[in-house]
Amino acid sequence: MILETENLTKMYGAKAACSKICLSVNEGQIFGFLGPNGAGKSTLVKMLVGLLFPTSGTARILGRPLGDLGARRKIGYLPENFRYQDWLTGEELLSFHASLRGMSGTERKRRVPAVLEQVGLAGKEKQKVGAYSKGMQQRVGLACALLHDPALLFLDEPASALDPLGRREVREIMLELRGSGKTIFLNSHLLSEVEMICDRVAIINKGKIVAGGTLDELLAQTVEVEMQAEGLTRPALAELAALSKKIAVEGRYVNVVLEHSGQIPALAEAVVKNGGRLYSLGAKHNSLEDLFVDLIQRGDH
Amino acid sequence: MLTIILLTFKEIVRRRILLVTVILAAVFLALYGAAVHYGYQEMSRGAGPLKALIAPQFLALGLYFGSFIISFLAVMAAVGTISSEIENGIMHAIVPGPVRRSTIILGKFCGYSLMLTVFAALFYIAVLLIVHYNTGLDIPVKAAAAGLFCLQPLILLAVAMLGSTFLSTLANGIAAFMLYSVGVVGGMLEQIGYLAGSNMMVNIGIASSLLMPADAVYRKIVYSLLSVPGASLSMTMLGPFGSGAEPSVWMLAYAACYILGFLLLALRIFSKKDI
Repeated sequence: MILETENLTKMYGAKAACSKICLSVNEGQIFGFLGPNGAGKSTLVKMLVGLLFPTSGTARILGRPLGDLGARRKIGYLPENFRYQDWLTGEELLSFHASLRGMSGTERKRRVPAVLEQVGLAGKEKQKVGAYSKGMQQRVGLACALLHDPALLFLDEPASALDPLGRREVREIMLELRGSGKTIFLNSHLLSEVEMICDRVAIINKGKIVAGGTLDELLAQTVEVEMQAEGLTRPALAELAALSKKIAVEGRYVNVVLEHSGQIPALAEAVVKNGGRLYSLGAKHNSLEDLFVDLIQRGDH
Repeated sequence: MLTIILLTFKEIVRRRILLVTVILAAVFLALYGAAVHYGYQEMSRGAGPLKALIAPQFLALGLYFGSFIISFLAVMAAVGTISSEIENGIMHAIVPGPVRRSTIILGKFCGYSLMLTVFAALFYIAVLLIVHYNTGLDIPVKAAAAGLFCLQPLILLAVAMLGSTFLSTLANGIAAFMLYSVGVVGGMLEQIGYLAGSNMMVNIGIASSLLMPADAVYRKIVYSLLSVPGASLSMTMLGPFGSGAEPSVWMLAYAACYILGFLLLALRIFSKKDI
């Protein structure tokens, strides 16, 4: 495991921003960390990169405890709400971060143009950061995070200020990095993006992890089925209700939520066995967004 | 730490802190030079033997307002050095790097200290030269006095850096100036106390020097430059800008410990601070 947390907790007075977070991230993966605003996503990342001190619990990054300078040499971080020294040029900013990370002059000369190229800022390095657009600032932030070729990269909303083209480019950079064996911890609101690139996902709500696993595991947790049937007797409806987690009947349309797709034949059987006429039955693909909304709403009630 | 020091220098230059400071200092020195030149000519005309008492007053005024300007610069430069960088997110990109938090504080302190020391030294030399060439006053060349002049802004720098670790930029600026004002007013009261023979006022002055020792350092400089052995009148004539009694070496040691203490406290607070 490149990253492991055990009961990591951050309290602000009596309020838990993060409560007993237990996570583990494998090397070479893109790990998506999702949650609504104020759920505790950034708090967790800030604890992991050393900006916040946990109230309790432990974590190990690259096998080292939190705050270890050796581990910090190998991590990259793009904060969510950040600003860089606007009086520096893009190139100077990167040189400063290279120097802060103890990179040699030769390495700096090699890496600075390479990351500028990688994030699409080549040719803009002589401009002051203050003159950059929001999207360019996001890119230069990403360049700073990538500069020292980190083994583990924390990206907090990396595409929030980017246009669709920019988002695509960032997505491609993340996939490239994964291809070269890097690990990415991605905080994002963009569920479709997470769905596209993440190997594993955890969802946090009100400071607690409410779901976690591979996307397949998470999305297989519930199956939504739509049926058209007539002549549904009371015993038929009772049997359908017993099979499903949630059922809604409107005329001949029946919508049920099952725990897994293996229950679908039993649904058809319950209708037919009890004298009903089944016209159609279809399983709806459950998206990450459906799961996310469902989990958050459940937590809110 | 060198990286942080160099960045601090670059910031001072790029954000035009240095340019504005140099321009304003040049304006001050030009006005001061004109005041010394014409003021001395006018005031010394027909002053007879009292002429010798006029030039030291000009020197004391130059050093007093020079101290004020340099202390002001120290506060303005460092008042938001940590707090504003946390508020605007710059610190979020620096702290997670492989750099100790203490290095960030020490690097910034060293960067500003070097700038302030060079600036104070040049300012001190300029004031002395202006007085010497316009009045003919023989000012003893004392490295210790120059060193103390350079020490003054470091006191305010340490105060502003400590405040910057736990106060907002605005609150810190207000707090640093209030503290400086306590030192200045207390120093004035102390001198008036010496002139009026009021022990209470002298004690208030001493207590204020413990809260903010910058003024006591100024008094030490003035005493070492302008006191004439066996002639207490020389200091009395300077009024609130003079030094009724020479601050002891312990006061200087206290000032040094004050800087160190504030710096250590800043290191401690920042090392445990949630950002």
